[in-house]
Amino acid sequence: MGLRWYHFALWGGFILFMYLLPEFVSRGTLRTIIFANFLAVFAISWDVISGRTGYVSFGHPFLIGIGAYTTAILTKRFGVPVELSIPLAVLATMAGGLIVLIPALRIRGSYFALVTLAFMELMYQLVQVIRPDLTGGTRGMSGIQTLTRGAENGFYMSFTLLAVLSVGTWLLMRTQFGTALSAISMDEDSVAGSGLNTVKLKTAAFLVSAFVAGVGGAFYVHYLGSLAPRALFDINFVFTIIVAALIGGASTIVGPIIGAFFLTFLLEYLRPWLPGAERYFIYGGVALLLYMYQPKGFYAIIMAGWSRLRARMARRKPGARA
Amino acid sequence: MTALAVRNLVKRFGGLTATNDVSFDIAPGQSVGLIGPNGAGKTTIFSQVMGELRQSAGTITLFGNEISGLSTPGRIRRGVCRTYQVPRPFHDLTVAENIRVGLAPNSIWQLVTRRPDHAREAEIALGVGLRETDFDRAPTELSMGDLRKLEFARTLATGARVMLLDEVFAGLTVGEIQVVSDLILGLRRDGMTFLMVSHDLKALEPLVDRVIAIDQGRKIAEGSYREVLDDPDVRASYLGGQG
Amino acid sequence: MLLQILIQGTLLSGLYALIAVGFTLIFSVGRVLNLAYGAYLMLGGYVFFFISQQLGAPAVVGVLCAAVLGCAAGLLKYRLIARPLGDNPVAVEISTLILAVVVQSGIVLIYGDSSKILLPIVPGVIRVAGTSVTYNLVVATLASWAILIALYLFVQRTHIGRAMRAVSMDRKGAAISGVDPDVINMITWGISGLLGAVAGVFFASYTQLSPSMWVGPLIISVAVVIVGGIGSIIGTLIVAHIVGFMEVIVIAVIAPELRGVFTMGLIIGVLILRPRGLFGREEL
Repeated sequence: MGLRWYHFALWGGFILFMYLLPEFVSRGTLRTIIFANFLAVFAISWDVISGRTGYVSFGHPFLIGIGAYTTAILTKRFGVPVELSIPLAVLATMAGGLIVLIPALRIRGSYFALVTLAFMELMYQLVQVIRPDLTGGTRGMSGIQTLTRGAENGFYMSFTLLAVLSVGTWLLMRTQFGTALSAISMDEDSVAGSGLNTVKLKTAAFLVSAFVAGVGGAFYVHYLGSLAPRALFDINFVFTIIVAALIGGASTIVGPIIGAFFLTFLLEYLRPWLPGAERYFIYGGVALLLYMYQPKGFYAIIMAGWSRLRARMARRKPGARA
Repeated sequence: MTALAVRNLVKRFGGLTATNDVSFDIAPGQSVGLIGPNGAGKTTIFSQVMGELRQSAGTITLFGNEISGLSTPGRIRRGVCRTYQVPRPFHDLTVAENIRVGLAPNSIWQLVTRRPDHAREAEIALGVGLRETDFDRAPTELSMGDLRKLEFARTLATGARVMLLDEVFAGLTVGEIQVVSDLILGLRRDGMTFLMVSHDLKALEPLVDRVIAIDQGRKIAEGSYREVLDDPDVRASYLGGQG
Repeated sequence: MLLQILIQGTLLSGLYALIAVGFTLIFSVGRVLNLAYGAYLMLGGYVFFFISQQLGAPAVVGVLCAAVLGCAAGLLKYRLIARPLGDNPVAVEISTLILAVVVQSGIVLIYGDSSKILLPIVPGVIRVAGTSVTYNLVVATLASWAILIALYLFVQRTHIGRAMRAVSMDRKGAAISGVDPDVINMITWGISGLLGAVAGVFFASYTQLSPSMWVGPLIISVAVVIVGGIGSIIGTLIVAHIVGFMEVIVIAVIAPELRGVFTMGLIIGVLILRPRGLFGREEL
């Protein structure tokens, strides 16, 4: 994996910094960061499949929704303990992902984007009409068990989740598995032409993505205590996730974290001026400009700056001047 | 046992018969040239051997095992691999990473847990004539000759024992042709089996034991280089159709 | 009941065909998934609302304004987004998605989040076979058919139309034959925007005007295009009718709420089972 000291330093520093954060910031800011944590988890889930392999999913809330609804229904309607319902929700999400994926794998590029969008729309329709007594229909569910109380605990829970999931996927993507997935985005036939079974690779990537989405969705619903299909299966949510991953830097795992925090704080910053959905207008515009300027996102901008810095420092090495 | 045996290969695209009952054998360690005018169907034969195109009829056997029903990656794992007329490296990966994909095991577990074999990557790269300074280069920085070498490296990385070369000399300078030819001869000494398509007959001659001539999807001649090139049907096909 | 289904089905299918055909053009000729196509629908609907309802101009003027604005939007989008990102279809798709959401929030900024009922373009109802059918919908369907026929003739008979088909089949080949893909793309995006806006007006008057109205029709039109086959206007027509009739049948015979489920299910099913579509020219 080629881990260097600065990898440990950066991750360690980041995690330490975040754990100390509640000492320094207000409750309100913590609540914002909690949202950013969850968005980062969802963005990472998207990034694993769409950023890495280039199979862009426009219906990711579909996966998140399976995780959320499963645990919500199990705990609220059937009294299943959370310790059991969350793992079951994750399994359900992975199973749901497989059901979508296995036939959809024959589809490439744009059509995959479409099928995923159609699945999200389908799920939105389904939860409204199939057993609304369980799913809460159009209005959704409320009064779902929450795991933590208070902003501080919520923050620790959400950040621990993010830390574990992000380090895990980051390490995973640094293996040959990650290289193979990147290669798929460049030339899938060539990957097959190198002797690798691309269907197996894509399925594995999708399962990882579904796993993260399921975990994120399940914990999110137990943080919020409620579930609203109109907000969940909404194109705005898709948009938020995708933009977070993209402007942060697709396929890097770190990028989505950057992007999620950037977006969340931008939204919060704009709240006093534009309290409603109009904020999407501004940050959509910002996102579009950023994306067209540098499709590889903040991560690439930071990396480029870092390379220039290192080059400059190397030139100033001792020995040149008296 | 033959290395590669193709029997009664047929490929139809709607009304057009691109491959018309083609059969040939290649013994292990042999090198066979595949020649013919443009549009004769040579690359189509390659694609069918590799499984990129599904044949309409016929069988393909590799070292005694029938591979006609296998997927492309499946066939590659059995030991046959091809290069392309226009090289297709992974454009956002370095030279070393390109080779790494070829070396990659076909199991998710191993892909995750095994470290890349940097030593083997270097060995293969140096073996085809790339330099250490090339390892971290992007494919866009390479000359055509080096890109061809990279293709060889990736093919060798898959463990191929039969290599299908599609116009491997296309786009090369005279010097680069010599380098690639030497590379092929070196691999031949190590026992590699070759099937080569080339328009550059002069470059082809020293590298092949036998030549097969194709025209309009049909095999029209087979024999030594000299025999085939002197064959009147073959000459006519290149000059554009018989009377 | 059967007659009712036939009538409603025909009407709805015509509308879906109109919505889908603008999308067909971009996808066939430009080979990109223009997710902001839904935005044309929105723009068209809201422009009509503004001109005809708020300013009180006659309906025809409203439709014309919508058409012009749609065309302009299409051209702008091509120049500012699709062309610069030309060789990266994924980037174009994502950019168009972002743009669509920006437009949607822009609309919310101006008009708020709630749905509005559009006054019908042509008021009144007509009773046919025991069911009332609004003149509006009839006009919409007739207009749809007229536009579709005109478009079909345009693509088949005129020089530009043939050039568009050439580009859709083989960009490079067309370029070598002297067709300028850039100009063709511009024309295509312009026409697509125009069609989308006009379709949006009719669609909004059929259902409701709301900022999120574009997602459903977008999915349907993309699916219609894919199932009907890329580059086939006739295919688009046929599949639009299949979808339209199926929806009407589900509403009448099964349950109105399940309409969305069946539509999506059909789309997903076909996409998965026959990605080439029913009439398409192309493998995926």
